[in-house]
Amino acid sequence: MKNATKIISCYSADTAGVCSALYELGGMVVVHDASGCNSTYSTHDEPRWYDKRSKIYISALTEMDAIMGNDKKLISDIVSAAADQNPAFIAVCGSPMPMMTGVDFGAVAQEIERRTGIFTFAVDINGTHNYLKGASDALLTIVEKYTQKTDRIKNGVNILGATPLDIPLNGNLNSIKNCLKDSGFEVIASMTMDCTLGDIKRSAAAEVNLVVSYSGIAAAEFMLREYNIPYVCGVPVGGEFSKILADSLKNVKEKAYPCSERQTAENGIYIIGEGISAGSLASAITLETGEKTRVVCPLDHNKDMLAQGDSDIYAEEDIEKLLVQNKPKAVIADPLYKFIVPKDIKFIDLPHFAFSGRCYERFMPNLADDTFIYTVRRKL
Amino acid sequence: MIKIAIYGKGGIGKSTCTANLAAAFAMLGKRVIQIGCDPKADSTINLLGGIPVMPVMNYLREHDDEPDDINEISKIGFGNILCIETGGPTPGLGCAGRGIINTFSLLEELELFETYKPDVVLYDVLGDVVCGGFAAPIREGYASQVLIVTSGEKMALYAANNINSAVKNFEDRSYARVRGIIMNRRSVENEEEKVRAFADGAGLEIVADIPRSNDIIKYEDMGKTVIEGDPNCETAKCFFALAQRLIDEDNENE
Repeated sequence: MKNATKIISCYSADTAGVCSALYELGGMVVVHDASGCNSTYSTHDEPRWYDKRSKIYISALTEMDAIMGNDKKLISDIVSAAADQNPAFIAVCGSPMPMMTGVDFGAVAQEIERRTGIFTFAVDINGTHNYLKGASDALLTIVEKYTQKTDRIKNGVNILGATPLDIPLNGNLNSIKNCLKDSGFEVIASMTMDCTLGDIKRSAAAEVNLVVSYSGIAAAEFMLREYNIPYVCGVPVGGEFSKILADSLKNVKEKAYPCSERQTAENGIYIIGEGISAGSLASAITLETGEKTRVVCPLDHNKDMLAQGDSDIYAEEDIEKLLVQNKPKAVIADPLYKFIVPKDIKFIDLPHFAFSGRCYERFMPNLADDTFIYTVRRKL
Repeated sequence: MIKIAIYGKGGIGKSTCTANLAAAFAMLGKRVIQIGCDPKADSTINLLGGIPVMPVMNYLREHDDEPDDINEISKIGFGNILCIETGGPTPGLGCAGRGIINTFSLLEELELFETYKPDVVLYDVLGDVVCGGFAAPIREGYASQVLIVTSGEKMALYAANNINSAVKNFEDRSYARVRGIIMNRRSVENEEEKVRAFADGAGLEIVADIPRSNDIIKYEDMGKTVIEGDPNCETAKCFFALAQRLIDEDNENE
């Protein structure tokens, strides 16, 4: 049973990542899945669901549709809904059942686009990966399709990889934007929270991109290749690290990972979570308190995101073993991790929407200010 | 690149035709990959001296993780042909079609085509287009042409007709098209007339006429194709002619 989560939760699925990344852009997202699953992707994993409208649909796949390979029903339902809704684009993605029956979503998307004249694409997911893959693939497709070469805006910056699954709806995004403005930057597009398709169309005017989660890296790499826009990976956390991030944004030539420019310690403070935000928090803690840290990243990442000494294990039993073995000074993680952390190790709650959903939503801190660092200092 | 999926009724000689065609391409100087898409995993055995390659599904069954390198799930056979078998689940269990899709995703992840840079890829597919998995080899990016193997036997022609109809169903997608029929003779009375009548009715061309020959059985007993065993025999010449024809067509298209 290795790699099965038996005690703790698991992260939101790739499907939720797609829905979240495309939520505000005016497109139609169709997940080919059984009826009722919309509540998983949109209600449980999407804090904007009750406040902002979005065209997220489930195809209501039935057992007979799956057995008979009834793609025509899926296609005609989407064509009909698109005629009513007139979406800016259509995204089609899978779930475990169509994965098993081998639905060819690329071909389905082609047929829908031919019949509707609306840009339609398939996101290659099936519900078995984590949210970062879905959000990353969806954002990349949108950026590839809609950005175009344009004149640069001095000190223009885009934020890439922002979804409520990583950036809580507690003013965190505004704080990030304010940090950037205070450092002399003008935010062009914040992909994809508080963002329109129009913002994305203008985004190649930026001089630099700030990538706040792994889901923004593929799009940042594309914009680097296509428009020569460099990027920096990190989330503003506390005053000191935010300054380093701003300097990096001003001076970066190609790409920079300030979130991984730090020393780690085997028995320091462990931070479990998404690589860029956990790395940024780790850097901020070291800068503000002098404490050594170590990131445990159980999610998709690339080698540059993590510092030497960080850990990329993801199996519940491996994380548990690591903590027992190394006896860290404290663990900072989503509260649901508490159940695999030895009781004699201090635990500091850092709720993560992609892990515990709404359970601890009201306790989510705004990492961009110094409050959370004070909490850490106080609890140590 | 020449990318062909070979379909036909079970036991009609698909693997024999595919392996011989692969060997003929290789002898004509082409870099070839043959992918067996049948749970029996015996498509490439006669390119490998009778010693089979580890099928992908067997590898996944025996290991916790997917292979890191294509060498772990392939073998080089006669004429430097890269041989791969999808294999399948335990007979009577699981889903063989899903096994094919899974294998194709894995080959994509391992960047098979980018690293091996083949001139020819042949997919030898189990029997009929029975489900999504068995249509995977004809999807965009995989095979661009389909060859249907049939004899003059009634059930073989029936299966050939089903396969042709199934491929036609995908006409509005960017899938492979049926290029023609390989007539694999079984000494049926009026065999040529029967196959020709089907071909004419379906608007298909008979692209190769493989004679009934003991050479095939003789060399298969030795773990060889006739191309390897006796490249000058009549049967081998038929496969060489088909390979050359497909190469010429590919050159014209380029």
